[in-house]
Amino acid sequence: MHKKPFLTPADIAEELDISSTTVMRKIHAGEIPAIVVSERIYRIPAATFELYKAGRLRVAEAAPLGGRKPRPRVGAGEPIPKPAAAPLARRA
Amino acid sequence: MATLPQLQSRLGRLAATLWNFGAEFPVPTLDSYDSGEVGFSFAARLPGVDVPKAATIRIVEIWAPGARELDIVEYDYDFVDYPLNRRRAFHRHSEEHFLRDFGVTVHEHCEEILGRPSCDHYHGIPVDADEAIRRFMIAWGQPGPLGCNHLRCIR
Repeated sequence: MHKKPFLTPADIAEELDISSTTVMRKIHAGEIPAIVVSERIYRIPAATFELYKAGRLRVAEAAPLGGRKPRPRVGAGEPIPKPAAAPLARRA
Repeated sequence: MATLPQLQSRLGRLAATLWNFGAEFPVPTLDSYDSGEVGFSFAARLPGVDVPKAATIRIVEIWAPGARELDIVEYDYDFVDYPLNRRRAFHRHSEEHFLRDFGVTVHEHCEEILGRPSCDHYHGIPVDADEAIRRFMIAWGQPGPLGCNHLRCIR
């Protein structure tokens, strides 16, 4: 297990003994999921890399139907803002 | 707009994205409600630092039957980074109220210090779950401000 929670493409290149270019190719091909922080900055969670090495990355499959359930109360418990009171009109 | 099979695919893809980032949660299901709507709701625990507890992401979407397909009517994408003691969220609910009183359909939450927001609700722009997760992932575990002071408070 890695001590760092997030890895760079260079970290992965070193561990797999491949070039950073190859790592980037794998990221762009979707073989290694990465967090795209910006055009030039990519982060790979250590957990993702462990899944990759173990061949346990998941492929998306259609979610199952779950049947009838209570409707989630979206925003429940969240105070709803009130509009600011209009300033009182000045008396003539 | 989406069909039921498209929503099943979409939910499956969202789940796989999070699982592949190491998140832990049971297989989410596309559920139906007595209101005639469908939707899903699940909470994922992110890996890594878990003191005081692990960071979490909650994803909720409600879809209502439209003229031909399903339309999204509410969402709740909520990320709490407990190790860094902060929160970011994108919400669409109580739409009639927000539209009438503030002219917005969606709002956001941003707490640089968890539980101590400078503003309870911020103006937002509509996002989908992919975009919300993308933003949460960028913020996850990264020290430095979330940038709440760049948002516009709803007052």
